[in-house]
This record gives sequence, C-alpha cells and structure tokens, in this order.
Amino acid sequence: MKKMLKVFLMLPIICLSGCWSSIELNELAIVTAMGIDKTEDGYLVSVQVLNSSELAGDARSGRTEVVTFRKSGKTIAEAIRSLSTDIPRRLYVAHLREIVFGEEMARAGIAKPLDVLSRQKELRSDFYMTVAKGSTAYDTLNVQTALEKIPANKVFDSLENSERRWAPTRTVTLDELVSSIVSKGRQAMLTGIYVYGDPESGSNVTNAQNISPKSGLRLDYLGVFKKDKLVGWLNRNDSKGVSYITDHVKSTAVNIPCEGDQITVNTTSSKTKIKGKMEKGNPKIDINVTSEGSIGEVECTIDLSKPEKIEELNKRYEKDIKAKIEGSIKTLQKKYQSDIFGFGDEIHRTDPEAWKRLEGNWEQEFANLDVNVTVKAKIRNLGTISESFQKEIEE
Amino acid sequence: MKSRVPIPLRKLIEDKQSVKNKKQQEELNQSGNPNSSKTKNQSQNPVQNAQNRSKDSKNHQTKLISSDLQYNFDHIKKTLGNSSDIIIRDFQAGKNGEIKLGIVYTDGLTDSASIQDLILDTLMVEIRNSDLDVEIPDCFEMIKSHTLPIGEIVEITDFQKFFNHVLSGDTMLLLDGSTKGMALGSRNWVDRGVQEPSSQTVVRGPKDGFTETLRTNTALIRRRIKDPSLWLETKQIGEKTQTDVAIMYLKGVANDKTVSELQSRLNRINIDAILESGYIEELIQDEVYTPFPTIYNTERPDAVAAAILEGRIAILVDGTPFVLIVPALMVHFFQSSEDYYQRADIATLIRVLRYLSFFLALLTPSLYVAVSTFHQEMLPTPLLISLASQREGVPFPAFVEAMLMEVVFEILREAGVRMPRAIGSSISIVGALVIGQAAVEAGFVSATMVIIVALTAISSFVFPSNSMAIAFRMLRFLFMILAATFGLYGIILGLIVMVLHLNSLRSFGLPYLAPNAPFILQDQKDNIIRMPHWSLVKRPRLISKNDTDRGDVSSPKPPR
Repeated sequence: MKKMLKVFLMLPIICLSGCWSSIELNELAIVTAMGIDKTEDGYLVSVQVLNSSELAGDARSGRTEVVTFRKSGKTIAEAIRSLSTDIPRRLYVAHLREIVFGEEMARAGIAKPLDVLSRQKELRSDFYMTVAKGSTAYDTLNVQTALEKIPANKVFDSLENSERRWAPTRTVTLDELVSSIVSKGRQAMLTGIYVYGDPESGSNVTNAQNISPKSGLRLDYLGVFKKDKLVGWLNRNDSKGVSYITDHVKSTAVNIPCEGDQITVNTTSSKTKIKGKMEKGNPKIDINVTSEGSIGEVECTIDLSKPEKIEELNKRYEKDIKAKIEGSIKTLQKKYQSDIFGFGDEIHRTDPEAWKRLEGNWEQEFANLDVNVTVKAKIRNLGTISESFQKEIEE
Repeated sequence: MKSRVPIPLRKLIEDKQSVKNKKQQEELNQSGNPNSSKTKNQSQNPVQNAQNRSKDSKNHQTKLISSDLQYNFDHIKKTLGNSSDIIIRDFQAGKNGEIKLGIVYTDGLTDSASIQDLILDTLMVEIRNSDLDVEIPDCFEMIKSHTLPIGEIVEITDFQKFFNHVLSGDTMLLLDGSTKGMALGSRNWVDRGVQEPSSQTVVRGPKDGFTETLRTNTALIRRRIKDPSLWLETKQIGEKTQTDVAIMYLKGVANDKTVSELQSRLNRINIDAILESGYIEELIQDEVYTPFPTIYNTERPDAVAAAILEGRIAILVDGTPFVLIVPALMVHFFQSSEDYYQRADIATLIRVLRYLSFFLALLTPSLYVAVSTFHQEMLPTPLLISLASQREGVPFPAFVEAMLMEVVFEILREAGVRMPRAIGSSISIVGALVIGQAAVEAGFVSATMVIIVALTAISSFVFPSNSMAIAFRMLRFLFMILAATFGLYGIILGLIVMVLHLNSLRSFGLPYLAPNAPFILQDQKDNIIRMPHWSLVKRPRLISKNDTDRGDVSSPKPPR
C-alpha cells in the first residue's frame, strides 16, 4: 500500500513538469530554404516557409505552397528573431534543404554568417549551400518551380541529380564548407544558382502553371573561394575538371570529335587518385584518372566494329578528360590562385615536415605547382546497336 | 444436450491440515449427536479445509444422519427450506414392505431415467423377488453390494456431506434404522456441449473447446494424454458454492515443488464463492500489483494438454470453460497452439509478427505523440509535411487527440463485446463512419490519428491471449502520458521501468521473462523461433526439472 502511495505521489511529477519543449506540428513554420544577403549595416535574411496544407492533404485552397519572408537585422540571429513579427509560427529549421548566399555577401565573406549556422542546435547539417550568381539570395528564393512544388527541394534534388549525372555542380554541406574554409591546404567552392527567364513572373503562383515555365532556378558554374570570400566563377569545362580531380564524377557525358562530327561517351564510372610528393624540395602532384564509359551517341560514320577504331576513340576520350583537368588547374593557378582541389592537404598528408615549410606561402606555391595528369579511359560497350545507320543513309 | 456425468473421482489431498481437521471433526461428532456412531469412512471422503475451518458457525452441517428416517426427512426439509426442486421420496422394500427407504435428489441436476430404472425399479420391484431375511444393518450392506447396479456409491454419515452430494446432483439413499446413507451417482444436467472455443480460434488444429462442466473438461484432456501419470486432484472451494476445482498434471514431469505450492495456495483460499476461474487466478497469483498476467488461461484443451506435457499444471474450475495454467511465463502469452500445428517456418514468422505487433500495440500512439510534438526533426521532410498538413486546423494538441481517439476506441470495443448481438452491425457502422470518417471530415481529429488508432487496435488483436493484450491496453495510456511529457525520453524511461518490473515478476517461483532473462540457450528453440518438432527434444528447463527428455527424435530423412 505504501508503495502504491509512493507511485501515486510521483505521478504529479510527470504531469506537472515536462512539456516545455513540446510543440505541435501546426505551430511550426517549416523553413526549407534560407537566403543571406548583405546590407549596408548588417544582413537581410530571407526564409522560405512551407504552407503544408497546400502541399499535402485534400484541403487545398489554391494559395502558394511556399512563402518567402525577409527581414534585415544587424546580425542574422536578430533578423531571424524579428521575422516572428511577420510569421505567426515558430521558425523550424531542422528540415532546411538549402542555404543561399547572395553574390555580394559571398564576395564580402561568409565566415560570419557561418557561425550562427554552426551554432544553431536545431539545424541538421544535411542541407546544401549555394551562391546566388549575379543576384541576391532573396531573388532565388522568390521563384516558383515547376515539377517540384518546394523550390528548396528542387535545388536540393537538382544538385544531387546533376552532381551524379552531369558532374560540373557540387553538393556542399555546412561541415564541408566550414572545414575547407578553415583548412590551409584547401579552399572552398560552392555551386552557383541563378534565376533564368523573367524574375518578375517567377514569384507568381501561376509560373508553375505554364508548360514551359517563364522562369526558374538553374544550377551551374562553380564559385571559387579564397578563405571565406568568393573570388570568381569557373566555366562549365573547368567545373567538370574540378569534379574529375576531386573524384566527384559518378557519371557524365563526354563529347569527342570524330570525322568532323561528334561522338558522346557516357562515362559510367570514374576513379581519381591524387598523390602528392616532394621532389628536390618542390611539391609535386600526380593525378591518375581511370574512366570507363559506353557510347551514347554517334553522329559520324565511324565503323565501331573495328577494335582499332575503338582504340582511337579511347585516345580521344582520354585526351578530352585530360584537357578538362589541365584547363581547370591552369585557370585556378593563374587566375584565382585558389587551391580548391585540396592539393595542399595532400602534401600535408604525404610530407608533414615539408608542409610546415610550405604552409605559410601555399598560395604562391600552388600557383607554380607542378601537376602531372595521367588519364586512362576506356569505352566498354557500344549500346544496343554497334554500327550507326548514318553510313547506310549516306551510301 | 444431455450427458451422463458420474461422481468425480475424489482423491484425498494429504496435507498437514487434514490430520488436524480429522481431529476437529471427531471432537465435534462426539459432542454433537448422541445417537451417532463414530465415522469410519472418513478417509474415503474429500477433506474440505476451507469448509472445516468455518464449521463452528455451521452446526447443522456437521449433524450426523439419524437412524430415524422420518427425523432425517424433517431435518432435510427444514434445512433446505422446503425448496421445490429437492425431491424426497419414501417407499418400502422387501416382501412385506418391512424395510423403509427414502431417496433424496435435486430435480434438474439428476438423470431421472437412471433414478427410475436403476434405483426405484431395483429397490421397489426387483428386490421383491429376492429373499430379504437379513437384519437392517446388514441390509444396508446388501443393498450396496448386491442390489444397486450403480457405479458410484459413497457412504455418507453426516449431513454436511449429505447436502453436498444432493446439491451436486447425486441421489441419496437413506435407510430406516441405519445411520449411514448412500450417495448414488446420478449427476446429469443440461450442458452447452463441446463447441469451438470463441476466444482462441485457429485455422488448423482441433476445434473443440472446454465447456462449463468440469467432468467434460477433464475428459477432453484425458482423451489427449493417455498416460497413467496424468494425475487429477479435485477439491471443493467456496463455502457456499462448493465449486469443484481440479488440478491436473503429469506426475514425475511436473515439478513437485510447484504442485505442492499450488496445493497450499488453493488450500489457503477461504471465500464463500468461486464462480469463475478468474476468482482462483486472483487468489493464487504471485504478484498482485501488476497489469501482467502471471497465470495463463485458455479455452483450448489442446493448449492445456501441451502445457501439461511441458510439465505445467492445469487448474480446472467447474462452471467455466476457462482453464488456468501455472506457471505462466511471458513467452507463453505470445504462443498460439497453432504455432505447433503449422510448419515451423511460418510459425516462426508469425511469432516475429506477434512481437512486432506487441510493440505496435504498446507504443504506436505514444511514438506518434512524442515524434510529432518533440522530435519533428526525426521525420523525413515529406512525411513531416504530410503530417503537418493533416494537423492543420485540428483544434486539439496531438496528445489530447490521441487520448480522445484511444478512449473512443476503447468505448467502441467495450460496446462491441457487451451489446446484444442483434445490434452489433449498427455499432460497427457508427464506429466506422462516425469516428473514422465524420470526425476527420469535421476536422476534429487528423486522419493520421485514425490510422494510428486503427493500427494499434488491430495489433492488439494479434495476441493469442486476451489477458496479455489487456495489459498492453492499459500500459498504452501510461506511455502516452510519458510521451506527451518527456517525448522519446519518457518512452524509453517507461520501457526501462516496464522491463525492470517484468524482471521482478515471478510465476510460481519461475522468473517471468525466462527463457530470455535468465537466458536459457536450450529453450531458445521454442521462443521467438519455433524449431521443427524433431528438434524440440527437451522440455523447458525451468518448468520441468525432473524429466526434461521428450524422446529420441531425429530429423526425417529420405530412404537411400
């Protein structure tokens, strides 16, 4: 009986204490994207909040699926708090999918905004970071996307999809970004995002009602950072070269010339090995790329059934990859002097002693770094037809 | 349906108290009726401890049978208050009617045909043809051993046993001039008959179920185990109801200590009425303050037979089809008798499914409450969006919503059990339409909550044993409160406390969580997985310590 009484007396502890951190689902404003722009004396923070009853369920009223709010403040945390005057619910950032920095913000340095993002306990670090190329972050959060109802999801999925299938873009999470900004032997890079088409109609809910949307979001170009500042953009070929060097190519398409026309090889697998070494006191990098692909498209009349022809194609295939890699290295060495490949880290790993010496002046060393690129590429299969019927048409 | 039911085989249960009781009775006999002779056949009669204890206040029951027949009749009428279902018939036997006899029986509990043919016909008609020139005391012996063609005859000297027999359906024969009476077995009453058990149905397996008659039930078990070591002990419990309670076990296989512990616990019961085996269960269980059943109950004779063969003990109570089995471990409540009739592979999968549904039945609503109010980050984004859109416009917090729906479901379930059959379908319409659809459309509750409640409900019906499902039904609400207060942390705390509590439970001395805690490797072959029968060669170790070998079975092989 005494035991029962004790249990009974303990019940109020359960009922009277807890619940302080509980929050109902319909009191949350689920933030899927956040944009950070620079203003004269602080930041402009824009958040894209889901209107969940328009996204799922059967009580849809035709309002927009996402709402973007913006507010400026001296610090980001202040701006986010002050957003509560606009948003009737608690901002919930655990499901954030993307963070966009305005180009101006990125050029001024993103280290300060990154502090609040790393400090915030609610944030999971599985979202991707991008830079709004040539615009403010707010503009990119102000576009309705077709197919994907949530623009942040479109960015998230597009990034993953194009990284996997096209290669010049790059998914970068918060942790990766912070560690490459902090690291001396590696510089940061972020994919660029921009609005194509007419930005005015982009924010209208009817934008997604067009078969061919008047505007939309596109991911392209890699932004090169030096420390925490954006210094410039790489073009598509250089971006692809960077992906080859950092072993991020899962599959892509490679165009190789053939009798004045083109053959496209679908790379199905690619593996890159980087080896750093010191030679006579100078750092040296060896890059070994092994690529395999299959013929995706043939526009010329080449006879693919002949092994020597394939051998010839392999050579050109290798050449194309090598050109892209060397091109990107050249751009980064000459134009930006920014080691986004992490060559410095590689030297650090192989020869820590030498790295201590090189560390202070790595920017200069990188610009003059001797990089040796070896590519082994092979075409593995020809698709379902071996010989193109172009030849028969011509004959 | 009618069936002939003989007097139960009565066995003397020898315990310490019986000696004491005998002494008591002798003392009372000496001080009671001066006409009485000393009781000789005491040892043939069952010892009724509970009854003996309260004997002092019940003087008329200890009264001994007088040699005056008319005096006996008057006493019977007085004691039973002239109840109209008690039939007293006096008659004369012998050539000249010199022997005065009387029979007493309860109408409705006896087989009137056998009274007619075997007792009255014999004593009144056939006896005339024989020569009766014996003295009256010898006449009693002669009738007993010579005349009456009845299987069950028990000699009675006192009225306590007299009434016990009469009210159990036996016919009492009294003889003028004799201080002894004869209880003649003539029990027969209307019986429901052996039907399919309604609470535990199987697809494959025997379809017979226990009935309300003890004798039928013991017969159903005997039919399955034809072994001389299957012992049956009967005693009467309940001062007023005198309910027959039988324990059945395999002597030599069952743990003797458990048997004697059970006997002493049954002997300790001192209550006026036993109407169902639930009375016994509550009076002999190990732990009182627990939602978990520590005694198994079943309607299925095959389940009881299997338990007895494992070395467990069955307690059969007259008047109910539910037979108790001790000791009962937690794993037993997850086992259905069909597990052993189906192939081992599907039986194993179904057991895994049961354990899964155990967690679903216990935790689904609380997990929903915890995740949707504390840990939204645990959900995948698309799921969160669809849950959030469901919650949009629901006026209650998730916990209140969950509590509401669970209570509504419990009401529906209780109504479904209790209400008359004829309106059963209308209740299901009310339940499905009003609760399931209208409430969601009106926006009172989210569709998610209805799914959760339905999932919980269906999972809780998976258990083969209703008593374990009841435990989870109750605990579910506790877990919901914990989830609403502390989130997942509260649920984990609750689970830890629950496991600790389960570990503290014992059923007749056996740890409740065996063979999982303590872990017994040998018994794992019939725990979550059910191995094929050819590998189940050992009985559960803790239950039957004496004889664990089930035989030498080997896996079947094709001929060479």
